[in-house]
Amino acid sequence: MSAHPAVYFEDIPVGEEYASPGRTVTEADVVIFAGLSGDYNVLHTDAEHMKASQFGERIAHGLLGLSIQQGLLDRVVTAQVTGPLAAVKWKFKGPIKIGDTIHVEARVTAKRDGEQPGWGVVTVARRVVNQRGETVQEGETDHLVGRRPA
Amino acid sequence: MSPSPPASRVYFEDVQTGVPLETPGMTLTETHAALFNSLSSARPGEPGTIPDLLPLCLSSGLGWRVPQPPLVVLAFMGFEWRFLKPTRIGDTIRSVSKTVAKRSMREGGVVIEERSILNQHGEIVQSGRLTLLVAKRPAA
Repeated sequence: MSAHPAVYFEDIPVGEEYASPGRTVTEADVVIFAGLSGDYNVLHTDAEHMKASQFGERIAHGLLGLSIQQGLLDRVVTAQVTGPLAAVKWKFKGPIKIGDTIHVEARVTAKRDGEQPGWGVVTVARRVVNQRGETVQEGETDHLVGRRPA
Repeated sequence: MSPSPPASRVYFEDVQTGVPLETPGMTLTETHAALFNSLSSARPGEPGTIPDLLPLCLSSGLGWRVPQPPLVVLAFMGFEWRFLKPTRIGDTIRSVSKTVAKRSMREGGVVIEERSILNQHGEIVQSGRLTLLVAKRPAA
């Protein structure tokens, strides 16, 4: 087992793109997220109520989709690119229904100096896409990435 | 004497701007971090740390534990969020929020909520604004 070579702020090219594998969002995911977060909103937990809603069925928590896409992207980028989060701007554009399969398409769009010396900020634009090619979530995440030691 | 039943739901018309609401606390445990990491499959952080997105996720559930009926949310439309300080296993977080703007739409209304997550020292660890689509009161 060998450690990955260190990747620093300087090594991350603006414009680099990533595409994650897919993941099918299951009823178990939604139930576990409701239990973990304590968000038992009927949108996610009451199948009968949701039959009459615009969605026709239970939908995944938006923040569950956000959490899953984070894990999906982690599987295809080096740890440093999606280092500690500094900020997120996010839009929920459509529902993720139980049984939908989502993946993430991401691109490094900007780099700037961090507030603290030794750190830079990398901005990653992300789209969460379902099996029909529809963008269900999208946004930008800012990550703190260490600079190459002098 | 039978008191009138409390309103069981808060609709768009009932939302008041500028009224702060504070939730009970929640101590962050190894279990929270393990469940979250297994559910998200996100890369675990350093030992003892809490995943960045977990306090935000927990704050939505904490919002259900205030002495006020829940808001009838039709959809979570988006948010902007800043991560100001890391949280660690053993920290106790709570959330303070208030509505800062509301706008009526044909189907429901948009509510902008400002939310901060505080730790046991009263430090703001994360904060931002959430945009929610809220149902209007059904015609009687």
